[in-house]
Amino acid sequence: MIALENVSKLYRRDSEEVRALDEVSISVAAGEFVAVRGPSGCGKSTLLLTVGGMIRPTEGRALIDGEDLYALSARDRARRRAEKIGFVFQMFHLVPYLSALDNVLVPTLAGMSAGRKQARELLERLQLGHRVRHRPAELSTGERQRVALARALLKRPAIILADEPTGNLDPASAAQVMSYLADFHRDGGTLLLVSHDPLAAEHTDRTVQLLEGHLAG
Amino acid sequence: MFIIRMLLREIRHRKLNFISALIAVITAVGLFVGVFTACEASRRETVRLMRNMGFNLIIVPEGTDMVDFWSQDYARKEMPEEYVHRLANSKDLSIQHLVARLQKRIEWRGRKILLTGILPEVQMKYLPAKSAMIEAPEPGTVYVGYELWRGTDIQVGQEIELGDKSFRVAMRLEEQGTKDDIRIYGHLHDVQEVLGKPGRINEVEALGCLCLGDALADIRQQLARELPGTHVTEFRSIAIMRAETRKMIENYAALIIPAILIVAAVWVGLLALGNVRERRAEIGVLRAMGVSSWPIAVLFLGKAVLIGLVGAALGFVLGTWLASHFGPQVFPLTARKIAPMYSLLSWSLIGAALMCVVASYLPIVQGVMQDPAQVLREE
Repeated sequence: MIALENVSKLYRRDSEEVRALDEVSISVAAGEFVAVRGPSGCGKSTLLLTVGGMIRPTEGRALIDGEDLYALSARDRARRRAEKIGFVFQMFHLVPYLSALDNVLVPTLAGMSAGRKQARELLERLQLGHRVRHRPAELSTGERQRVALARALLKRPAIILADEPTGNLDPASAAQVMSYLADFHRDGGTLLLVSHDPLAAEHTDRTVQLLEGHLAG
Repeated sequence: MFIIRMLLREIRHRKLNFISALIAVITAVGLFVGVFTACEASRRETVRLMRNMGFNLIIVPEGTDMVDFWSQDYARKEMPEEYVHRLANSKDLSIQHLVARLQKRIEWRGRKILLTGILPEVQMKYLPAKSAMIEAPEPGTVYVGYELWRGTDIQVGQEIELGDKSFRVAMRLEEQGTKDDIRIYGHLHDVQEVLGKPGRINEVEALGCLCLGDALADIRQQLARELPGTHVTEFRSIAIMRAETRKMIENYAALIIPAILIVAAVWVGLLALGNVRERRAEIGVLRAMGVSSWPIAVLFLGKAVLIGLVGAALGFVLGTWLASHFGPQVFPLTARKIAPMYSLLSWSLIGAALMCVVASYLPIVQGVMQDPAQVLREE
């Protein structure tokens, strides 16, 4: 389902060269839940965004369902993201001026068909039925992350890429979010999760370590 | 429709940004509409004033000694009456309201007076018909100047003698404070008969265009082609001074309005830049969700268009109010001519919306083209 083949990513800042990923190869089978752990700055977010078709690797290939994402045009790559991938971020990145319901509907701008009814059902499933009209500033951090999760789930993606989804949450909210991600996994979804949180390992099939751009173990 | 809801929610959320941009557009459009409305009213009134003040061109026979003309009040030389019809039939003359006159100083009842024969206005054949500027006496009647009837028994309807002919007084003229007060006006053909100069005139009065600059030189060239045996001179008047004042204000407006538009455009552009920068994460997430550049650009361009349209509508109201409120102080004679120019509304709407789109274009392109991964990694 997901495969990185000898992926390297170099950043240049002034005369300094930073190798965020160094010949990383990893594959995640359909329906598998994999966690990537590692210290800050080890390249976890770069790895996730590379898989998501948002950072072109300096070397190597990123494949989704056998298709090299970076061989596609930017337009087709965006379409694949819209069709197959849902993102969940540590900072939620909700649109501050939209209600919870409208935030869940934001992916419809990518042209997918999903209605308010479907969005409302998702919010109810994530125990946010009473918060549909609230804006992000009126929600707790846990509620914001659940809205972000509902947004990622709206288009019924095959893959969810989650970047520290519990990083800003209290333990209770973190456990709740992890259980929803586990539900997605149980329903056959593929998950690649980047996290410091040891709790994440309880739900995953496999955990890999990333250290200074290399996969270890 | 979701995109429109998003656009409106964002405006409500960032009111200050929207209102600031709106103020810029309202100011620019308001000043544009205000100045334009006042200038247009002033132009119309100047034309009216000019017309009310009488003719501004006088055509005399070539070779007329102008020193003699101004001291005598008329040209000693004469020309055929038929000249006025030749002028009227010309396609290339930028003059109107042609009035042929024959005048001469004569002795009447023991006093020196000016006897003036007037032919009713001849319309220019190839120009739209205009209402006559003057009312010429009917044949067999005369108008008597103020100083000539004051203190006498001359009454309207009474017969008076001119030469060996008798004429009915059709009007006693009010005091003018000019030589018109010692003038008797009659129909041109009657006066020609009294003076023994049938078919002759010594001047044609006309109204030339109110243009400044080389209008007189142009008219002289046109007349030289049409009527080589004539000479034209222009009455400089207070109306011309007003036209020059108006021109000066228009020149200021031509300088100030573009400057205001540029300042407003820069203002709107900077606000758009600030808005785009503030929403970098939002744009990044939209891109991560596979939203293409176009819906994102529509979100920002839609806002720019809305600012332009709302700003133009409010600016039109403001400008019209400014013109009607302060215009009469700037242009005292134009007060009643200042009225809303609804044609400016559509131009303002189109122009302001375009200005906002152009001013916001580069910030929007920059926002849409930014690397979403960079924004998301910065979190």
